[in-house]
Amino acid sequence: MGLTSGFFIWLMIAVALGSVAATVWLWPRFAGQRPAMMAARLGLIAASQLLVLAAVLAFVNGYFAFFGSWSALFGGGGSAPVSVSAAAAPSRPIVVTGSDLGPVPGGSALPEDPDGRLAAKPPHFHGKKAASPSKMAVAPGLDLKGGAVAAARKVGKILQITVTGEHTGIVSAANYVYLPPQYFQPAYAHVRFPVVLALTGYPNDTWSIVRWLDLPSTAANLVSRGKIGPAVYVMMNVSVALPRDTECTNVPEGPQAQTFLAQDVPQAVEQTFRVQTGRAGWSVLGYSTGGYCAAKLAMMDPYQFSSAVSLAGYYTALQDSTTGNLYGGSTAFRQENNLDWRLLHLPAPPVSVLVTSSLVGEHDLAGTLAFLHLIRAPMRGYSLLVKQGGHNYGTWVRQLPQSLEWLNQRLTPAASPAQPTPGPSP
Amino acid sequence: MGLASPALMAVVAVVGAAALAAILWYWPKLAGRGVVPVVARIAALGVLQLSVLGLIFLIVNSSAEFYSSWSDLFGDQSGGGAIVAGQANAGQSPIGSRSLAPVTVLGSSAVAVPDRPSEAGGRLQTVRLYGELSGISAPGYVYLPPGYTARARAALPVTVVVSGELGDPASPYGAGVLAGAVASQVAAHRIAPMIVVMLPAQVGRDDEGCLNVPGGTQAALFFTQDLPQIIDSDYRAAPPATRRWAVVADAPGGYCALQLAMTTSQTFAAAAVPPGSYTAPPGPAGSGGSPQIRAEDDLSWLLKHQPMQPISVLFTGAGPGQPFLSEARPPMHAGQMGLAPGKWQLSGVFDWIGATLKPPAARS
Repeated sequence: MGLTSGFFIWLMIAVALGSVAATVWLWPRFAGQRPAMMAARLGLIAASQLLVLAAVLAFVNGYFAFFGSWSALFGGGGSAPVSVSAAAAPSRPIVVTGSDLGPVPGGSALPEDPDGRLAAKPPHFHGKKAASPSKMAVAPGLDLKGGAVAAARKVGKILQITVTGEHTGIVSAANYVYLPPQYFQPAYAHVRFPVVLALTGYPNDTWSIVRWLDLPSTAANLVSRGKIGPAVYVMMNVSVALPRDTECTNVPEGPQAQTFLAQDVPQAVEQTFRVQTGRAGWSVLGYSTGGYCAAKLAMMDPYQFSSAVSLAGYYTALQDSTTGNLYGGSTAFRQENNLDWRLLHLPAPPVSVLVTSSLVGEHDLAGTLAFLHLIRAPMRGYSLLVKQGGHNYGTWVRQLPQSLEWLNQRLTPAASPAQPTPGPSP
Repeated sequence: MGLASPALMAVVAVVGAAALAAILWYWPKLAGRGVVPVVARIAALGVLQLSVLGLIFLIVNSSAEFYSSWSDLFGDQSGGGAIVAGQANAGQSPIGSRSLAPVTVLGSSAVAVPDRPSEAGGRLQTVRLYGELSGISAPGYVYLPPGYTARARAALPVTVVVSGELGDPASPYGAGVLAGAVASQVAAHRIAPMIVVMLPAQVGRDDEGCLNVPGGTQAALFFTQDLPQIIDSDYRAAPPATRRWAVVADAPGGYCALQLAMTTSQTFAAAAVPPGSYTAPPGPAGSGGSPQIRAEDDLSWLLKHQPMQPISVLFTGAGPGQPFLSEARPPMHAGQMGLAPGKWQLSGVFDWIGATLKPPAARS
């Protein structure tokens, strides 16, 4: 029974309502004045309160997609993220586990509920792969046929993927790639697209980037209005070992989260999709913990990423009960993961970073401004401050269009049909 | 009353506590039969429930500041801002603001190959390499094969030599001897032309084994990020991602070379090092006082605990090569060559590199 399945959530709600009804029903039996009666009343109230609270938590968790599964919440999932098994690595670093988003109502690339709103949860994928001769190879192991090609040319496609890190052995499942419509159009058949690696906050299901940050539809909208060029968006969970908060750190004797996201993932994406390979074609974006990671990956792997957007990120090296021991007990190693410290003690890397915050409502505002102030050439810092807005998707959704336009100015564009690249004209 | 104000939290807490006390106290009064008492019970429980949930929400919200105001919560915030470029910080770079060139060529000489014209041997440059990210400036040598300047667009494979004896003309791992050895193999057409970059086994004061010393010399940063960038941008070298890079070392540089291959296989596809077990870096380990970091510095620990890396390791000379020889599994390969250090060993090493660094595979 899935943590976010409708059945589980409805069951929790039914149990909670049942407990309230039972309390109301049994009320008269505990109307005496003896202390035991008092204790029984307290017990009844506590039980129903707790069950209602549990139901609310289950609902909120499903709604906001914090934890996508029981193993993400409690750990110990069958797919231990750092499973360095003796088994040979899979032949493909990226396996497409879902591509069938069903009908595309209203011409949207995104799965929608019948009422036209974006679905709160990823569609149920069957993991089927087209095996028969096809019209179009999207990625190794995934082909599109007939009507699906026509649909993809109009609205693009979102694939669910599992990435296996060649160097780190980390396996990260239930991530998504958004391929823009242009990716499927004949005019772009030989064009390599720039890539934005998008990271969630912690704790989040990766689907949050689609559902709440609204990244693919915002990008599609900006492309159709000519504000930005098409790009491939690779959406990854910022934690490689949920429920642990790994903070994109190469944890001593633990998951090498930084190497996975900065090297394994780009390498896997470059081997699988028609994307650019140089740093000028790669950037990284994230919110909250993902914002820290975006700035960190760009600063520590500037030859992979040339720019980064940190939506309400922080810039120091966090360690708390959700992260566990991230730095092997070494103060110096922790400092090296502190971006302020790096700017003070190491040469600045040649990257551009956009940081966002709010003048009212974001308690990392001071830290963000301090980080911005420490940036030195050849690094370039930019800020986007809104007047008011808390640490929530509403604020980031407002900041996203400008952030994507800023990124667009820094990425090598996918050559458009209007400006054909040398070679056979489309 | 603001959403994040302590006053609101206090009010909700008082309401909740009062509701609980009232329910417990007035319980018997609501115990009657009929519609009115039942509705009253449900209402009482509802008030308590809402204040408890409300209080929890307010506490969580104030600790993480998810929603800063009522309008924020109900999503009718609007209004953006403008993107502003941070003012250029005039502050000096903490390691000195020298903006050094990545490669400074200090000298250049022809490499002689016996019985061949002088231009057949290629050239040996004396250089200083500066790493933009690490801030490390290291002296070294770069061997360029014959015809390098005339070569149109061919990207050459790269071998990085990490040696403690580069300046010793008598040592097999001196720069001149190394250049002569590779030039002979190229002139004899035994291997394809390659660029050889020679660097000292220590590139910083506290560098032991090309590790990032926590809080100290970032030698790993220099070798794994700066060096590929420098060579890629200043020479017509194969991009690191093509995995046409090898690393070779003498005894002082052995740990460094094997460590680079074990941790940076996306660049270094082959390593030729003297036999050894490589359980700890040379010299005092700069592990920042962390037992976990010290454990990772043990290359045999890495062999056991990380996936087999797509690298080929050659132990040069007789001696122990365990556990690498017995535990390497594809895609990792490990072998040994019994020749003693000297000219023949170097020839064998370069032949092995030439055979191991295959031309780039066609990109899918």
